[in-house]
Amino acid sequence: MSFRLNIPVFLLVSSIFYPAISQAEYGDVLINNYSDEAGMRPVVFPHWFHRIRFRCKVCHADLGFKFEAGGNEINMLKIIDGEYCGACHNGEVAWSVENCDVCHSGKPGTPTQVHHSTTSKLFTLSSKKSKGDK
Amino acid sequence: MESLRKNISNLFLNRIALKVVCILLMLTTGSLHAAVEIQSGKSIYDVSCSGCHAAGVLEAPKLGSQTDWDAREKQGFDVLQKHALKGFKNMPAKGGNPALKDSEIVNAIKYMLAQSGFEQYKDKPLSKTKTKPAKKSAPKKIAKVKLKPSKNIRTSSANRFNRLMKPASELNLAPAKDGLHDPENEGTLLLQPPKQAFELLSSAKSGNRVDWVKSLENKEIFPRYDRLSDEIKPVVMDLNIVREVKGSMPNVVYPHKQHTEWLDCSNCHPAIFIPQKGANQISMASILLGQQCGVCHGKVAFPVSECRKCHSQKKNLKTGNK
Ligand code: HEC
Ligand code: HEC
Ligand code: HEC
Ligand code: HEC
Ligand code: HEC
Ligand code: HEC
Ligand code: HEC
Repeated sequence: MSFRLNIPVFLLVSSIFYPAISQAEYGDVLINNYSDEAGMRPVVFPHWFHRIRFRCKVCHADLGFKFEAGGNEINMLKIIDGEYCGACHNGEVAWSVENCDVCHSGKPGTPTQVHHSTTSKLFTLSSKKSKGDK
Repeated sequence: MESLRKNISNLFLNRIALKVVCILLMLTTGSLHAAVEIQSGKSIYDVSCSGCHAAGVLEAPKLGSQTDWDAREKQGFDVLQKHALKGFKNMPAKGGNPALKDSEIVNAIKYMLAQSGFEQYKDKPLSKTKTKPAKKSAPKKIAKVKLKPSKNIRTSSANRFNRLMKPASELNLAPAKDGLHDPENEGTLLLQPPKQAFELLSSAKSGNRVDWVKSLENKEIFPRYDRLSDEIKPVVMDLNIVREVKGSMPNVVYPHKQHTEWLDCSNCHPAIFIPQKGANQISMASILLGQQCGVCHGKVAFPVSECRKCHSQKKNLKTGNK
């Protein structure tokens, strides 16, 4: 029991103070399932900006976004047909899709991720930790 | 195992390489003194000027566009300063923020000029001066400043006060500076800098540095509950679930109220939690791995470092006081 408990708490405490390479805003999601391959910059979705304007429910219940970065297999066809980002970025609720580089604004080559998520930090550290164990 | 070890040392080397690049970047952008001054000009700019000057709202000269600034710069710095302080056509006095000090406005103007291709403003001392051609002694200066131990410069001191924790100046950075967005991309400059939005909201110590629950309660923000309508109100359910915790940690109070302000029942039930008190095995380990409460906390909702927000119910410990 105490074994199960100590390791994550240890990891957590060290992870909070661990310097992250990128200083992006907490909760920024970078989506890059297809963009790099298609020669576009990856997409950055800012949670902070959208949650000032919408409750989570609008996207994660009404529009069906799953809680998983990269897990919704969004592409441009779905967007112009009014799904996902396209439910709002349609020239009515918000500016329309022709503003490619406002969404496609990430550094090329960056993998899909959520910024400052505990898990992404934990994984880095767990590999370090296992080194120390051996 | 061997390959794991290799991965780890690669990771480590990458970190070092990155630091070296950072240091080099800092050194090449001019003297360190100027870097500090520009920084504060930058923070003023991010909060008070970028709203118009990033995208060219109302025909404001754009940051980064030398053509927009060329004729204006030729008027001389004193004129620019006067216009920025007192207002000029669509440019409001002090960018509409009378609380700013004159010297801060001066720094912001210099920052904008420096970022728009007028290298000479990177070196200027703080006091107001006539526009004279810049001294061309940058390299010497770099060497001199580098040797001087300085409290403020991260890279110059091995014994910096906070070695691992991020300094406040590195939080809530503007998109072009945050390392995630591509600064070469034009769209990046159109994005709102987080600080500009967060200035008006209740603050917190972690995450976005915004207390989203308070901001909502205090009506500092009005997030829609419906994609199209401002009128539809959320169905809020006020039901606390107390989860007892063994050991010294206070019990966890899970509040339905704050959650149903933001979320729908279907966001949690039944995929994440069976809706029955005590039916779910929850542990810190799984939360840290991004399950259960950790689906949101540590990603978008406040981070797991805020132990007290969840572990909020005191209990009577048999041993010791409190
Ligand atoms: C509202 C935000 C948004 C805008 C505006 C936008 N995109 Fe996308 N785009 C996305 C998202 C999200 C994805 C999925 C990214 C991924 O998984 O790599 C995507 C994927 C893509 C892809 C790869 C997948 C596919 O559908 O082929 C291409 C190519 C692309 N976008 C081009 C464009 C172009 C060109 C424009 C401007 C006309 C544009 N996008 C505007 C959000 C946007
Ligand atoms: C405007 C739409 C929108 C709103 C509002 C929104 N989200 Fe999201 N959320 C997204 C998108 C888009 C993604 C990424 C999905 C993808 O990559 O396919 C996401 C991903 C997530 C994830 C998954 C992160 C991971 O682990 O990979 C979580 C958790 C999340 N959101 C929580 C929230 C919470 C909590 C709120 C309310 C405070 C919220 N979201 C509000 C659009 C939204
Ligand atoms: C509400 C929008 C707005 C904000 C906010 C704003 N500006 Fe401006 N600014 C303008 C516009 C518009 C002009 C162009 C005025 C003209 O020449 O018509 C301008 C011009 C200027 C000029 C050039 C003046 C000249 O003589 O050509 C300077 C310098 C300047 N702004 C500095 C600042 C600073 C510093 C801040 C932040 C503290 C700031 N501005 C905030 C709209 C704004
Ligand atoms: C529920 C509606 C909604 C959905 C879904 C949505 N957005 Fe937005 N988004 C908005 C609104 C409203 C704005 C603000 C528009 C404005 O400023 O005119 C916005 C603005 C933005 C901005 C600009 C932020 C800034 O700094 O000004 C970006 C980038 C963006 N959205 C990306 C996305 C991406 C990528 C997706 C899909 C993964 C998405 N949005 C889905 C409503 C939505
Ligand atoms: C953020 C996630 C979340 C949301 C959203 C949520 N719940 Fe729950 N709910 C929980 C958790 C956690 C428990 C406690 C489960 C346990 O103790 O194992 C719970 C327990 C319950 C219970 C059992 C209470 C009891 O005394 O046994 C009911 C009923 C319930 N929820 C109904 C709802 C309804 C109705 C909504 C929407 C209005 C809702 N919940 C929204 C997380 C959520
Ligand atoms: C589906 C996403 C989600 C899940 C799962 C979730 N939360 Fe939350 N929680 C939120 C959001 C969104 C807020 C609003 C505050 C914020 O975003 O920082 C919040 C707020 C809270 C608050 C209120 C803090 C305050 O300042 O009043 C507490 C306490 C809390 N959560 C505890 C829990 C616990 C304990 C669990 C697991 C049993 C849990 N949450 C699971 C999304 C979630
Ligand atoms: C998002 C809410 C949340 C936050 C933040 C949080 N905890 Fe927990 N914690 C829980 C829940 C839920 C449980 C499980 C309670 C139960 O047994 O039902 C728990 C259980 C625990 C336990 C008991 C052992 C275990 O693993 O179940 C310890 C110890 C603990 N937490 C420590 C911490 C510390 C230290 C922090 C701050 C770094 C923290 N927690 C932050 C929700 C949280």
